[in-house]
Amino acid sequence: MARMKFLCDADRCIECNACVTACKNENEVPWGINRRRVVTINDGKPGERSVSMACMHCTDAPCAAVCPVDCFYTTADAVVLHSKDLCIGCGYCFYACPFGAPQYPKVGNFGSRGKMDKCTFCAGGPEADLSPVEFQKYGSNRLAEGKLPLCAEMCSTKSLLAGDGEIIAQIYKERVVKRGYGSGAWGWQTAYKDNIAI
Amino acid sequence: MIQSRHTAQPDAWETTMSKTKETGEPAVDRRSFFKALGAGATLAATPAIVTPAAAVDPGKEETKARYRESEHVKAFYRVNRF
Repeated sequence: MARMKFLCDADRCIECNACVTACKNENEVPWGINRRRVVTINDGKPGERSVSMACMHCTDAPCAAVCPVDCFYTTADAVVLHSKDLCIGCGYCFYACPFGAPQYPKVGNFGSRGKMDKCTFCAGGPEADLSPVEFQKYGSNRLAEGKLPLCAEMCSTKSLLAGDGEIIAQIYKERVVKRGYGSGAWGWQTAYKDNIAI
Repeated sequence: MIQSRHTAQPDAWETTMSKTKETGEPAVDRRSFFKALGAGATLAATPAIVTPAAAVDPGKEETKARYRESEHVKAFYRVNRF
């Protein structure tokens, strides 16, 4: 059974934020939140690196472990989804997630947060596939259409990979072997240490 | 001499709290009113206690595999190999 994974090739990411925009548009994500974000380290300095981050659909998801109403479930594709009908907006998952994936679009009275929203790997939710209710709550269900998440499909530099974990890992490995240098090359630091300029 | 309201107007007090002046029948007694209220609240709370927790229990339909290697997906993999 294929396991769905995201993989961001940091050597290719140019911080264009097209993945963020594509996700917001495709899933009609509300104002003020992003299901996907581009994180840049050493911004504006030599060695700057950007990486596109969203829910990583963990195998043993910490969000699911801390949820007091147990609203998370994992599909056969290893995509971590949740039920907005059960979510009470407590925010525990937000604190548990190491990637900051769970978001809270609504701010109510007395600190209430509304329903949690997160990346669904463009796989909808527990409602019927491709139904209007599913779209309204969770966004599009591209997996049911035989497609992959739009953030990865839109990536102009092919930095963001999505799909069957084994296939995209093989694609990334081929890239690194072809590149033959830099952070991703197997054994580079062992052979040349960190101070070798390319 | 100052008298309390209760002693000064016993008829009015009686009328308001327990009996109507015209009919002489007892109105809703304060104690029985609160007793009934408490019993109602207990009854209302009982189903909430015995109702089982509604944790998400996705069936096979919700958790089924949706991914398939369509031509669209194969094209994605192909162009990403460059």
